[in-house]
Amino acid sequence: MRIPAFVRLTFRNILVNMDPGTMLFLLGMPALYLVVMGAMFQGFVPNVSVGNVSINYETFLTPGIIGMQTLTAGNIGAGMLWADRRWGMFEQILVGPFKRVDYLLSIMLLSVTFTLAGGAIMAVIAVAMSVTFAYTALNLAMMVIILSVGAMFFSSVFLIMSLTFKTMNAYNTATIFLFFFLDFASTAFYPVTSKTPVALKYMVYVNPLTYIVDAARYVITANDPLHAVLYTGVVTALMLVFFSIAIYMYSHMKGTTA
Amino acid sequence: MISVSDLVMTYDGVRRAVDNLSFQVGEGEIYGLLGKNGAGKTTTIKILTTLIPPVSGKATVDGMDVRTHASTIRKMIGVVQQGESFDFTTVERSFDIYSLLWEIPRGIAERRKAELIEFFDLARLRKSRVFELSGGEKKRLQVAREFMHDMKVLFLDEPTVGMDPIMRRDILNYIKSRAKDGLTVVFTTHILEEADYICNRIGIMNNGRLVAEGTSSHLKQNLGSLRKLTVESTAEITKKQSGSISDYLNSLGHPFELEVSGKMINVIASRVPKILSPFLAKLSELSVEIDHVSVVDPSLDDVFLEVMKN
Repeated sequence: MRIPAFVRLTFRNILVNMDPGTMLFLLGMPALYLVVMGAMFQGFVPNVSVGNVSINYETFLTPGIIGMQTLTAGNIGAGMLWADRRWGMFEQILVGPFKRVDYLLSIMLLSVTFTLAGGAIMAVIAVAMSVTFAYTALNLAMMVIILSVGAMFFSSVFLIMSLTFKTMNAYNTATIFLFFFLDFASTAFYPVTSKTPVALKYMVYVNPLTYIVDAARYVITANDPLHAVLYTGVVTALMLVFFSIAIYMYSHMKGTTA
Repeated sequence: MISVSDLVMTYDGVRRAVDNLSFQVGEGEIYGLLGKNGAGKTTTIKILTTLIPPVSGKATVDGMDVRTHASTIRKMIGVVQQGESFDFTTVERSFDIYSLLWEIPRGIAERRKAELIEFFDLARLRKSRVFELSGGEKKRLQVAREFMHDMKVLFLDEPTVGMDPIMRRDILNYIKSRAKDGLTVVFTTHILEEADYICNRIGIMNNGRLVAEGTSSHLKQNLGSLRKLTVESTAEITKKQSGSISDYLNSLGHPFELEVSGKMINVIASRVPKILSPFLAKLSELSVEIDHVSVVDPSLDDVFLEVMKN
């Protein structure tokens, strides 16, 4: 049985990224946040309300860390394009049995795969920390959709950056800045309360990660898929816009037309 | 196998990187494309490997147009690019990734990987990460992994850059043996000895055009009119003798290069056979006692330089 070209490329992308550095970035850092921040803040952060339920900090943090996987995996996925162009593999792949669209799909699929795998591992760690979730088939399906859409959104954002920045320094600086800004100016680590400064509130609410994280939070902690659908809709709309821009830039990329 | 006719390519719409280029390459032939930097060799290869479309003209590989049958062509070609191309992984995994990308059955892939690692002397680097390799080692890997998959045409854009002479010769022999089995090869290089050694035919490009084409011996016979005349004297050549030799050659009215060092007199000129006898008579007249005389045919380098000058 022949394996579709984009799937073969996705396997290649996974193999190339199975190095300790990438795994530490994808799993080690979020796991550290989950375990250390969860345990340390749990002691003094009061319960947080999500929908109609009140949850402790570890339970609050878990969907934040799972949602963050979309950002991390999107960065890893789209970073492949930058690295492949820089180190010659992009052209090498395009003179092989592949089309440009296969390459783009493989980047997206890599991000989604890493997001889901990373999210599942974070969930396992959380369960080991005695965090409880609302396990239903619908909730799991919703989580897969939320995380997949989120991964595609951030892949598109980082693809645009891959296609914009020419030098490694500029690319690294921009992605690291965006990465930390999106992580910390979101509701991944802490809720927005009445005491949150107004400017910061705006930043949090224009940050797409907030909607991904909140959608995940409503599903697995508050068992409230309706809120999640609303937030996922926002992310899907953004994803479609950014994905279209990324496709436009990708298809107009100079140097190759294969 | 490859047919190129009136091919034109411009990057900025003005300057022609490839300018009405036409040539043919037969099945199992090794065709060398030579030319100085910017001559259009790599652009030609990029067009033939379907990476960029030509502005006009036609290029076919195995009868298929590069514009309309790009996907099919890509499944039957191998390409070693001029620049580096590697994944951030180990040497061994690079082969595994290539097997995966080209859907090579596991058994065949393992056998080929072992053979290629052995042949290309990569065994000790098997577990090394590719970015840690030297330039020559990376190039070796680039060439080796391309032979993991079956192909009808192989494009090699300066494949031996940075390699030591022994590995270079081994790789050229390997490519030659594959060509004997029917593989068609398009080869670019700046090392003209390589082209001389490996290519059945050579095309010399300048400013996007093919300015000379033929077998190596054909090019040497027809385009390389320069000969190198070496005379070894029994005694050191004096300054006065050297000056007189130079005056004599100037009096002949043909361009030449003269180098006098110790007992050696080297003359590079285009009409050596004609001037040989009077030149030796002149040396005798100047009391230069001749110990040894030799006339050397032009190398491909000489031909290349002469074609470029003209």
